[in-house]
Amino acid sequence: MMNKTSLIAIALLVFMGFFPLFVDSAWLAVGTTFLVFSVVALSQDIILGRAGVFHMGHAMFFGLGAYTTAILNVNFGLPILATWAPAVLVPMLVAFVMVAPIIHLRGDYLLVATIGFNIIFIQVLENDIFGLTGGPNGLFGIDVVRVLGFDFSSQTHMYYMAFILLGITLFIMRNLDKSKFGRAMFYIHKDEIAAQSMGINVRYFKLYAFILGAGIAGAAGSMFSVQYSAVSPEAFNVTQSIMFFTIVLVGGSASLPGVLIGTFVMFVLPEMFREFETARYLVFGVAMILTMILRPRGIWPVRFGNIPDFLKKGVK
Amino acid sequence: MSEYILEISHVSKYFQGLVAINDLSMKVKKGQIYGIIGPNGAGKTTLFNCITGIYRPEIGQILWKGKDIKGSNPYKIAELGILRTFQTIRLFAEMSVAENIMSGRHIKSKQRWYNGVIPTPAYVRDEKANWEKVGELMDFFNLTEYATIPAGDLSYGIQRRIEMARALAAEPELLILDEPAAGLNENETLELTQTIRKIQEMGVTIMMIEHDMEMVMSLSEYITVINFGAKISEGVPSFVQDDPVVIEAYIGSDEEDEDE
Repeated sequence: MMNKTSLIAIALLVFMGFFPLFVDSAWLAVGTTFLVFSVVALSQDIILGRAGVFHMGHAMFFGLGAYTTAILNVNFGLPILATWAPAVLVPMLVAFVMVAPIIHLRGDYLLVATIGFNIIFIQVLENDIFGLTGGPNGLFGIDVVRVLGFDFSSQTHMYYMAFILLGITLFIMRNLDKSKFGRAMFYIHKDEIAAQSMGINVRYFKLYAFILGAGIAGAAGSMFSVQYSAVSPEAFNVTQSIMFFTIVLVGGSASLPGVLIGTFVMFVLPEMFREFETARYLVFGVAMILTMILRPRGIWPVRFGNIPDFLKKGVK
Repeated sequence: MSEYILEISHVSKYFQGLVAINDLSMKVKKGQIYGIIGPNGAGKTTLFNCITGIYRPEIGQILWKGKDIKGSNPYKIAELGILRTFQTIRLFAEMSVAENIMSGRHIKSKQRWYNGVIPTPAYVRDEKANWEKVGELMDFFNLTEYATIPAGDLSYGIQRRIEMARALAAEPELLILDEPAAGLNENETLELTQTIRKIQEMGVTIMMIEHDMEMVMSLSEYITVINFGAKISEGVPSFVQDDPVVIEAYIGSDEEDEDE
């Protein structure tokens, strides 16, 4: 049976699938970046919306993926395809090493610590550590994806690669929500003491959220670096982290449609109103404030109660 | 192994120099319903928090089947089969009743780390079996009609039932109930009494703090009375009821502050 949400989802999927056919190259690039940012926002949502951890350094994991691909390709000449696995694994490893010692911190303290990591990350990039990162200018001339002599080099190719990446991410998120892992994150988020008393290892599942989120953000970063064939530090600074954090809260924590709407509102809308130049950000500031006042759970809030149908039979 | 499943011996817990529990000892037999009573602020909930790992007592031992579990992480204690409810109900308020009860299946679920990302046939079977168990528990506690409703939207009495169903979903060996009858009306209390008996018949050992004397006296096989963090009396209900020390503690405690 079809409900309203799945109909909207299918309509959107069809629209996004045919999107490159009726837009110019500038809008195609916006579309591709929207897809990539959606993936990052969804991965932020695993940590923030599901596990409920106030993490404001997510651009770092996004950047780690982007720089891993860029460094391995530009400095070491590896084909892009060969950089995909490292671009996912490096952010996961960094997430584990950096976050494990601070995971016990309470919300506000952890938030400050994650901002600190992001600032250090930018410092490392700008100081051209080991001569690998290219300093403040970043790295240029990143290759395109080549498979068996075929080059995926056009903007349309980029768009569909990002489209597939978003599809994989949504598939993972759906599985997460329907597993004991996703549920454990929610229980921890809603009441940590009750969750512990039910046998849930809070530390393990918060770390799980971080590592999974970091890996997905890394994949998006790799895609991002190939799309622009360049990386530079300012794309991954704290301001970007704040944007991903805000997308989740404005759109709707733990809500897949919410996070996609949030990305649209925070990224695509500003692109649509370019003619108003910086004045548009005033409107966005006000919109963010109003959303939090009028819809504190987001534009499209999460709905719980996703239980198997046979348990719904007795509901009056 | 001794006949006692839980042995608390000479446990003391301090909060910044103040004694919350003072040299407390008790022994719980397997399959028993064990009552703990005492005036408000006597340290009953603190004792439960020590058993379930939320607090670590400074002195003494808490032996579960002969092994000291004092200061273990709460999730490890739950994994051992010690599950609890809370005096101030702690449900996942925004989540549905079924999802709340499903949290009790967490420790029984055999899903592997990669099942958070990729489903496997074993995962599908595990997921189905656990939801079926949730269905059984909803039947047992008459919660089926509320399956999809957010737990926080339901009445106090129903929330207490959800909390017990959630704890029972983990198939505990020891169920710790912190004032299960608080806020219930007479009918609900009666129902609860029958439910607790049925849980005992399943072979679950039960420890219970309760202020409803009629209920605690009729259910408990053995009772410990605590006042100012220390044991003042213990024994079978008929003995405790008539113990002059107990009567004095209760009469003299009318003006005590609320428990936590």
